[in-house]
Amino acid sequence: MARGGGNRSRLLLVLLLVSALFLITLDLRGINLASGVRSAVATAFSPVEKLASKIFSPVGNFTSDLRNFNQSKKKINDLTKEVDLLKSKEVLDEDLVSQVSQLKNLLDLAGRGGYKVVAAKVVNRGSAATFKQTITIDVGSADGVTKNMTVIADGGLVGVVKSVTSNSAIVLLMSDPTFKVGVRIVGTQGIGVISGQGGDTYLLQLLDATGEIKVGDNLVARGSENGRPYVPGVPVGEVTKVASNASAITQNADVVGFVNIDRVSVVAVVVAPPKSDPRDALIPKPAPTVTVLVTPTPTPSK
Amino acid sequence: MSGLRVFNTSILLFVIFMIQELLIARINFPISGFSLYLAALMVVLALEDRSGSLVFGFIGGVILDFSPSADSPLGQWALVLTIIGYLYSINKESIGDFLDSPFLFLLFVSFATALSLSIFLIVGAMLGTNNGGLLDNLLLIFVNSLWTILITPLFLPIIIRVRKMLMSNRERI
Repeated sequence: MARGGGNRSRLLLVLLLVSALFLITLDLRGINLASGVRSAVATAFSPVEKLASKIFSPVGNFTSDLRNFNQSKKKINDLTKEVDLLKSKEVLDEDLVSQVSQLKNLLDLAGRGGYKVVAAKVVNRGSAATFKQTITIDVGSADGVTKNMTVIADGGLVGVVKSVTSNSAIVLLMSDPTFKVGVRIVGTQGIGVISGQGGDTYLLQLLDATGEIKVGDNLVARGSENGRPYVPGVPVGEVTKVASNASAITQNADVVGFVNIDRVSVVAVVVAPPKSDPRDALIPKPAPTVTVLVTPTPTPSK
Repeated sequence: MSGLRVFNTSILLFVIFMIQELLIARINFPISGFSLYLAALMVVLALEDRSGSLVFGFIGGVILDFSPSADSPLGQWALVLTIIGYLYSINKESIGDFLDSPFLFLLFVSFATALSLSIFLIVGAMLGTNNGGLLDNLLLIFVNSLWTILITPLFLPIIIRVRKMLMSNRERI
């Protein structure tokens, strides 16, 4: 009896393994079952995702809020006073205000760069089980979005469109270890490649080992042919640390992005590249220093 | 194992998958995320009999392959979780020892989740999928395991209760 059961289990195991390998083989041989099925699931999930996004948007950042609890306490006191003030002005939806502000800055960036964009809300983030850092946005092919389009946010580059359904799209984030973008250093015009490292910082590999690079240098996207996947001139990040190694073929540096990807809630997909390369025009300018000159005047004596 | 039970448990797994994709994925966990779906599936596999572990490993893997954010070939998760299901089925008696102590069971679920993620990476490497640097992935798996230990006690009783509800009277005995 036990032997019969064992044989049945073995047969079942072989059957299931063969089925799994069959699916993998079909997929790798180009019979693209996966994209069809995933696209159908994404289309089915899309309305629910939008609803979940509305309901659970304050939940998303609760862990980072916990980590910054001490800072938060002081902030809470300051904000309580501010809230009292705002209540009197009937400003009720902070989340909406933040999104409007992000959208305003984003459209300003797109306008200055001459990019034709479609604005979108982030409705979901990639699952931990996929080893991919992605976000889902609420625009898709119906809005003119196609695969390999640049995605920007308030400040600069966010990622690239990886797959599209009729009313949603999945964006591969800059922080994903498989993400790579060609960049140019503002000023020196040195070129390099930025790769995601899974976290908040990115790795810059300068193609010219003798090229000049220093902390504080700003980077913009070089752009691809016909603006796909990357349009030129999009601000990418700022160099924070330069690794000096004379024997290395390339020079490496750590870069922090202009966009805090963890907190981004509004993005824009660049659906048409600019007519001319905006070059360095989109790099955030440092706030001008105001110098007050006071000339002492003698007090008139009585 | 009845066809109805396979259907019911598959629906349960799909509902957990939806919760994972629609709610858990929205939370920015520090360093890396937590996979409610994998943890719940490991619990279900541990409670099943030998053939149940195999079947639900495969079905659970196919459901995970449907994830819109996945970039892996269709069938990769099915293969990985069938292997995990097989490991469960050949170690059924040993796993029974873990079920007696809630803490040990928690550690076991966390270890099984980490093991399935590791096997996924290995199979991915064999299939030529680029999943990023080894150290980053190890950190991701480690942190995922920690989250599993912390969060699993919250939903473990619910999974066990719902699973019992899905069983027929004869299966319960």
